[in-house]
Amino acid sequence: MIWKRPLVVTAALSLAAAALTACGPVASTGSNAGDTEGGGDKTVTVFISGDTNVQDLWEKGIIPAYQKANPGVQVKTTIDLHGEHDQQTVAKLVTATKAGDDPGYDLVDGGFVIGAAAEADTLLQADPGKITGLADVPEATTRAGKGVGIPYRASSVLLAYDSTKIDSPPETLADLLTWIEQNPGKFAYNSPSTGGSGGAFVTTVLDSFLSEADQQALRTGYAKEVEAKWKPGFAKLKQLGKSMYQGGVYPNGNNQVLELLGSGEIQMAPVWSDQFITAQQNGVVPETVKYTQISNPSFTGSAAYLGIPKTSDNIDGAIDLVNFVLTPEGQKIIAEQISGYPVIDPGKLPPEVAERFADADPTALRPSYFSEVTSDMNNQWDQQVP
Amino acid sequence: MTDRVAAAADPAPAAAESRAEVDVRPARAVLRADRRRSAVGFSMALPPVLLIMLFVGLPVVLAIGFSLGMTGGLNSVAAAIGQDVYEAEGLVTFDAYRQLFADPRFTRDLAATVLVTVATTLITLGLAIGIAVHLRLRGGWAGTLLSSLGVVPLFVPVVIASWAILTFYSGDGFLRSVFAQLGLEGPTFGFTVPGVIIASVWVNLPFALLMASSGMQGVPDALIDAARDAGASTLTIVARVLAPLAGIPLVIAATFTAIGVLGQFTVPYFTGPNAPQQLGVDISKYFQAFNRPQQAAAIAVVVFLVASGVAALYVWANFRSAKDEGRV
Repeated sequence: MIWKRPLVVTAALSLAAAALTACGPVASTGSNAGDTEGGGDKTVTVFISGDTNVQDLWEKGIIPAYQKANPGVQVKTTIDLHGEHDQQTVAKLVTATKAGDDPGYDLVDGGFVIGAAAEADTLLQADPGKITGLADVPEATTRAGKGVGIPYRASSVLLAYDSTKIDSPPETLADLLTWIEQNPGKFAYNSPSTGGSGGAFVTTVLDSFLSEADQQALRTGYAKEVEAKWKPGFAKLKQLGKSMYQGGVYPNGNNQVLELLGSGEIQMAPVWSDQFITAQQNGVVPETVKYTQISNPSFTGSAAYLGIPKTSDNIDGAIDLVNFVLTPEGQKIIAEQISGYPVIDPGKLPPEVAERFADADPTALRPSYFSEVTSDMNNQWDQQVP
Repeated sequence: MTDRVAAAADPAPAAAESRAEVDVRPARAVLRADRRRSAVGFSMALPPVLLIMLFVGLPVVLAIGFSLGMTGGLNSVAAAIGQDVYEAEGLVTFDAYRQLFADPRFTRDLAATVLVTVATTLITLGLAIGIAVHLRLRGGWAGTLLSSLGVVPLFVPVVIASWAILTFYSGDGFLRSVFAQLGLEGPTFGFTVPGVIIASVWVNLPFALLMASSGMQGVPDALIDAARDAGASTLTIVARVLAPLAGIPLVIAATFTAIGVLGQFTVPYFTGPNAPQQLGVDISKYFQAFNRPQQAAAIAVVVFLVASGVAALYVWANFRSAKDEGRV
């Protein structure tokens, strides 16, 4: 008799352990967050795959303003920091779409919106008839969204330089490469696997050795056969290595480069427009550091896209939120909060915002490579350059 | 003493005996009670065993299988998403390993990892033994100060420590600033292999120091005094008396340091160069940035094999200490 009770207790504990295993992976990506509210028309859940600045943009900028304008509506967020689980997120989204179930969120902000999620046909068509805010967005920007992505902000990689040391910054890529070789140790870019600004530099150098058709092939699909033509580009990058910061140190991440720029250890670097402007406002980078865009070819950049899952329970709520983001007020929040480029017609923007981003034309941005191609580029860079 | 140990190790016969004295139940009931008790014992041990099997055992087996080209079952998602995945035609394929070892980058990184591991272990042990010997033979405020300073890294998170060490040794860091004050050009250890070794030693010193000093504190004064009376120099005392008697804690400290450094991520990620890179960082890069999960699993297996070589040493040391104490 006495022995029976512990037996039951331990068996129950084992079961509990098994039950924990079952819900572990689901909880870790948080996609069951919306389940409890399923069907509630008053709640919109935004899934964010990105950095903390994007999270802040939603949680501290857009959402409070939207909820103020629409009392009674609840907007929640679910974040996958740095988009580390993008592959799994897409896999789950595909499964939910196939089963016709609500994926647990109503709006997606992430790089995979116009990539894997668009290809797998999981998202609602970005129809300007329904999403009225798209009327103010230039046609070319919307077209790059592959029919499902709703552009809502943009950023590009720029060349930042220390204006106290450099009077006339390089204007073309060729000029920039010459400058790097003439000023050894004064230029740095982060390894492409750790951040997009270094990735843009590598992409741009590789592209300068490719034909327009080959570049296009690498952007639109997994064109493995074209990758062989990267050889001269990587050879050039390898040759530049000894002229880099500390004779070949490539920092980890966009922010480390900004810090080197701020401390004066380097004089020039490729930087993300939004991160650079934010860093300057924070004081990480002094006012004397200025930025410019090079040409022939320019650094890459792109709009960021939102997507609405087809099987979401609250499509109307998501559309309303998107329309708010595309109003001049929403665009102003983006410009102020993370220094993102507005995507709507500059004529519709508040004058002070329009003036600040006069040089940033989202329609002229040069896109970067397809995601599998980017993985290969990161791998080959790591193999051949440092 | 031995009797009591034997009785403790196997309580069943003793219990059966005591029951036999007050035998009121038939033998079958006794047998059933025994069986029930062992079932209870087993079920008590079940939760942790299940937990370890599910969260550690299963993923390890899956990863090893994946690296050998078993891409079905639970590995199918990783295989479908990953690039350059080799699928076994028959039972297994070594193509992923072949590709790795054909890549000069991997052999270079493997060599660098082993170099950092060996150097860090030797320096850490040297420092720990030095401080422990000083504390044991001389004592005094210097010994106490050194040994307490040596334990400080235990209380600093590795991320913070790595970052601090990087800024200390970087191009505009403290070290170079001091040199510059004297009109000299100081060395830059930030983003270099020596930088990784310095940071690894810093992180691993506390544990080795605790092991070494507790091992040496346990050596009786009589032995040291006897050696001294026989005319032994301090060096002889350290080499012949202190080090051998504290040998097992030292071997344990060495193996833990070596295994820890072998697979470390944070320290080389922050302080190390882009090339050669440590394998711990490589695994994460292959898995995430390069989208090559199979190659990441293969690197992990290689690290595991090297670590098991070190672990064998640890098992041997444990076995010897058990033998010395008469447990085996």
